Parts: sequence; structure tokens; C-alpha cells
Amino acid sequence: MSSSRQFLSSALRQSRAAGQSTAQFSTSSPAAAIRNIPTTSFQNAPRTNNNNTSSSSSSAGSNQYKSDMFNLLNSGSGSRNNRRGGSDDMEGGGQRSGSGSVGQSQKVQELLQSEVTANNYLRQMKRRWTNGDVYAPRDLGAYEMKGKPAGAMAQMPKVDVVDELGFSPLDNYRNFSLISDYITPFGRIRHSKETGLRPVNQRKIAKMVRRAIGMGIHPSVHKHPEILKASAGRHLLPLVVPKGQAAAANKTKNFDGEDEH
Amino acid sequence: MASTRGMSPGAALLRTSRMFSLPAAIPSPPGNKFEIGNSRTVTEAYPTHQVITTFDSSRDRGDWGLKRPLPLKSTTGTTYPMVKVKQMDSIEQITDFASGTQHGLTLKKFQALNIPISTPSELNDPSRVLRPAQRSVFEADTDVTAFSPDQKIQEAERRWKFTGPWLAGMTPGEFKEYLTKTVRPKRAEFRKFIQKKLAAQKTEAANRELQEQAALRGDAVAAKQKPFKPESISDEEVTEYLRQLRNDNQVLYDLVGQFLDLAPLKPPQAAEARVQNSLMINLRATDSPYGARGPPITHPSAGISYLRTSAYLDNHPIYGPQKSHPPVEARVLKPRRGGLGNDAKVGVAGFVADGPLGSTHSNLKNATLMEKFDPNIEGGAKIWVNVDKATVDSTGRIQLTVNDAKATDVLIAKELIGEVSEPIFGSAPVRQQQKSFKRIAMTAERLRGRYMDSSSPSAPTMSGSSGYGLDKE
Repeated sequence: MSSSRQFLSSALRQSRAAGQSTAQFSTSSPAAAIRNIPTTSFQNAPRTNNNNTSSSSSSAGSNQYKSDMFNLLNSGSGSRNNRRGGSDDMEGGGQRSGSGSVGQSQKVQELLQSEVTANNYLRQMKRRWTNGDVYAPRDLGAYEMKGKPAGAMAQMPKVDVVDELGFSPLDNYRNFSLISDYITPFGRIRHSKETGLRPVNQRKIAKMVRRAIGMGIHPSVHKHPEILKASAGRHLLPLVVPKGQAAAANKTKNFDGEDEH
Repeated sequence: MASTRGMSPGAALLRTSRMFSLPAAIPSPPGNKFEIGNSRTVTEAYPTHQVITTFDSSRDRGDWGLKRPLPLKSTTGTTYPMVKVKQMDSIEQITDFASGTQHGLTLKKFQALNIPISTPSELNDPSRVLRPAQRSVFEADTDVTAFSPDQKIQEAERRWKFTGPWLAGMTPGEFKEYLTKTVRPKRAEFRKFIQKKLAAQKTEAANRELQEQAALRGDAVAAKQKPFKPESISDEEVTEYLRQLRNDNQVLYDLVGQFLDLAPLKPPQAAEARVQNSLMINLRATDSPYGARGPPITHPSAGISYLRTSAYLDNHPIYGPQKSHPPVEARVLKPRRGGLGNDAKVGVAGFVADGPLGSTHSNLKNATLMEKFDPNIEGGAKIWVNVDKATVDSTGRIQLTVNDAKATDVLIAKELIGEVSEPIFGSAPVRQQQKSFKRIAMTAERLRGRYMDSSSPSAPTMSGSSGYGLDKE
């Protein structure tokens, strides 16, 4: 996906250069699906209060980017209608203009559009295929493919993990990933309904967590910071800088790597 | 099963026979123990209940030979009547049944592939160049389970069924439990086992010495030492021998493996071993095909196919014997994405397998079928493949090795089912003749001239068949 991100920015520049007109958003086009993509994933700085009146060359903020992306996808207006007829994605809107750069950006748009569609469909097919599995037509149907709801019943492991792995929890009080696994995001020790441990092991695990927190080597209200830094929500972590470098830290960069101020 | 009290022995036999009863359900396939998530409705890797069928006329009346007729609405829709009975008579006084087509038809589809089951082999096994690529699981020397205790030890490299576990497949907790519950109580027995071994060794050594002495003296035959009894070996000798064994890992592991009937293990790679313990490097590699992944939990064929070889030629009605077996269509279940664990998966005959590996035409950059999901393809993306090998792994699942089919084979297969627009047979371009002879029309005079000129040997006679132009030589 990172390669397609670079792809996006060059495509954006091309479309802006070619002066594509804005189009109405459609609820049925594949572009509608990408509105669910959090725009913060394209930022690498905390949100700033942007004016949309800033010049397009300085390309400020997430809203401008988002609208540009929609413009990019919807400017091939013929392709939106073709989608219903089920024609081939690659043929596209058929807006063949003479200039090579516009033709190129056309292809790029089509490629991008089909890429986004394909990824959206794949994200909905949650079945994990292992070699040797048997599948019948039923397994390709909606009920099996969409994935079962992640309820409490689903999350409970079938075996007692401490028994299976044969380790002593109390001897592993320094294992921060183990401690963080057995606490909720707010630092509370998980119930045995979630851990699936038998009472003896549940007590040992709880004692291990209390020991680490009591010693002060593990936080009590969230998971270990090294683990948070590596997690999926790392872009949301607050930016903490040493005192002398506050000015440098406030220089935020937008998606294209250009300074915003 | 009804109790046999108050029943004649014959009746008891009939009641428990296949003809009058369904076998009990087997445990469900072993999956990943640590996996979170309940998927009770997904098709299992192998069937756990017997699938039954019935005549069409009986099916239309709901008669499946069970305690009560089954409802027609759910049982009369399919082409093949197949049903699995979970409970003949439940507490709610119904027959708990489900459709059996998911496994019944998978079996039919697999058998239509006509491939034999082979013993597994590692891809990067150095000894593979010497061994044949496909070895049937029904070979006489490996498909045996009845061994005497001595034969068991000899044949350990070739057996598939072992009483003891495969240590590499046990989790640490399982291993600890195995040690405490099974191994520890057997210490006295192990000492007796060592006594026997030592007695045999002593006898062997004594015999050899006598033979040497006889050879020195010049006698033809040496006196045979009577065999030492295991009881004659003292406890101290056994303890001393066990102490010596601590320094000789190979012999120790062999003895323990024989005593506990452990499945053969592949020794750790030289790179890993160097880090942990230098004594590990010198362990002997095992020849057993199950050393790397563990022995199978079923018969190595899992009863899915009884073919022994695929060394036969398919005969096409027009094109004659074909070099390779006909290809089959495989469904692309998951397109390829870059990175670990993102290989393309295809489904052949109802089984999930890796897509064709290596540098085949479906793995090229411009092959979009395997690369990207295309929602516009009617019925889903499919590719033509040849299934090369089928093996049964240590969890009872069928592993297929799949390769891309050649374009010509695909064309021929499509023609046979009528999917090509133009027929291939007879469409090859006719080679142009280099010389074109001018045709001179046969006139009566010319014909007469041939008969007049009777001196030449090739002149036709009036009564012969040679003059009619029938034999073209």
C-alpha cells in the first residue's frame, strides 16, 4: 500500500496540473467507499486548523487532499456510469483527449480506481484460507465470507495458554509484552472470560501483573510505551519533545512532505 | 448403541454391523489450538460423520432408511442425495441431520482428478535427487503396521504408525505432561531395557573374541559362548553405562526413541545447533519422510484415493495419447499480495492449495488474474492447472501441489467441452507444395498407348489391377 501512496501524490499533482474540474460526489461509486478511510493516516502531524482558501500550490491540510482525491477519481465521469453496466474497469471513461499527459493521467486514474475497488472488496472477504482446507459453495457465500462477529464468545481461547506453553507467570514479571497482553487498553487486568485461563493460572497471571505494576516497571493505566509505539495507533500518540526544540517540533508537514506554515 | 442384554448374539452382531448401524462420529480435525474465533459452521478439513445416500424414488418419499422420514423440502433439491446423520433420535424426538454434499462431492471431485497419494518430501531435501519424486503410500515395504518388537526398531525409518508421540509437534506444556504422566513411571522398565541391551552387547563381544581366538589357532569353527542373561547385568553396570551415554547423544537418543516408540525426528539444522549445543551437530539425519513434519494421524492415504501411480497416458479420441494429464480449472480464492504470508491461494477440487509457484506464466507481472481482484469476472477468477502431487500431512489435511497448465493442453481441454469458438482439429495450415505438376487429362489414346507398349515392365496387363491406378506407390 505504501507504493500506492506515492502513486497517489504524483497522480494528484498531475491532475491538478491538467486542471481537472470538480465533480459531484456519488454515493454508489467506489470512491464513496474510501470516505471511510481515516484521513489521519495520511498525516504525520497533529491536526492543524487549515484554511481552505490557501493556495493550491501549498496544498494545505487533509480536507483539500481528500477533495483532490475525490476529484481525481470522479473526473473520469464516464466510468461511473459504466460501472453499473459491468464493463471492464481498464477501459474507463473514454475521455480521450489529444495531449499525452491527460491520456496518461486517465490511465492512472483508471488504475487507481480499480485498485481501490479491488482493495475494498478484498477487505470484505475475511476468510483466511489455509492449505488443505476443504471448501464447498456454501463457504464462498456471504455468511461464511464476511467473518463472524467478534463477540466475547469468539475471543475466548479454547485452551489454557499457560498450561499449553508450560511457563510460570510469576517468573516472567519482566516480560512487558506478556503483561501488556493481559491488561485492557486502560490498564485493567483481563477477566478469565477473555483470557480463557483456569482459576489457578488466572490468579498467577494477575499476580504477575500486579507485581510489575507495583514495582513501577510497567504503567498502570495503559500498555507499555514501547508496545504502544509499535502498535497500529502509533500515529495518534502525542508528540513529546525536549524543551529547547519546541519551535522545530511545531513545524508540521503535510502528506506531500511540504511545510504547512 | 443399544445394550446387548436380552439379545441373541446374532442379533447383537447385526446391530453393530455397518449394514444396520452408522459408525460413531470421529473427533473433529485437529486445528490450531491457540486460534481465537468460533467457526462452527465452516466446512471441516475431513468428514467426521458417515455420509449416507438413498435411491431417488425413496428420497422423494423421504425414506433414507432411518427411524423416520426426512423432510422433503431440504433433502430433495440436490442432484446427488447425500445426508449426514448427527443424531438418529434426539431429545426433541427428531433426527438431527445435515447435508453431506460438502464432503461427498469433494470426494467425487478429487477422485475425478485421478491422482495418487504420495509420501511427503521436503522441497529442499538434499537426498531428494536420489529418491523418486513420487512414491506411493501403498508400497509394500512402508505400508505395514504389524511388526515384532525387533522389527519395529529396524523399520523405524519406514513406518508411519508409532505408539509414542512426535516430540517436535508437542507444545512445551504437553511435553511436560508427557514426561510426568507417561515417561517417569517407566524408569524401572527402562533399566530392564538397558539390561537386555547390555546382555546382548556382552554376548556379541564374547562371541567375536572367541571367533578371533579360533582364527588365530586355525580352527574352522569357534565355540559359541552361551548368551548372557539380562539378569546377570548388575545395577552398577547399568548406572555406569547410563553415565557413559550422557556423552554420546546419538546412542542415547536412539535407545530412548526405541524404548518409547517415538516418531523419528529431523535433527536441528547445523546453524541452530551451533548456537545451542555443539553436540547437536553430530546427530544423524533421518531417512523417514515424516521426520520433518510428523507422522500422519490417519493412514498416509487417508482413504481418499487408492490409486498407486499416475504413470498412464490419457488417450484423446482425435489427437491420440497425450503427454500430460488433462488440466482442470482452479478457482483463485485469494490474489497475491507482496510480502510474507500473502501467496495466492487457489481451490482445486474443493481443496485449498498454494497457487502455482516459481516462474510460471500466471506469476508474471502482467498476469492480473492472480495479482488483483477483479469484480467484473463472471463467476470469479479461474485458472487452468495441473495437479502434480497430493500428500496427507500430519493433521490429516490433503496438500496439493499445483502447476500451471500448458496453453496447448488448455486449448484441447476446452475443445473437448465445446468452449472454443473455432475447432482446432483440421485447422492446421496446409503446407504449400514446392513443385506443382501440371495435370494432363487422361485420354483414351494415352490409356491405349500404355497397353500397346507391352515391352516395358510397368506396362499394365488387361486383367491386372495395376492399370486402374488403385495402388499409389
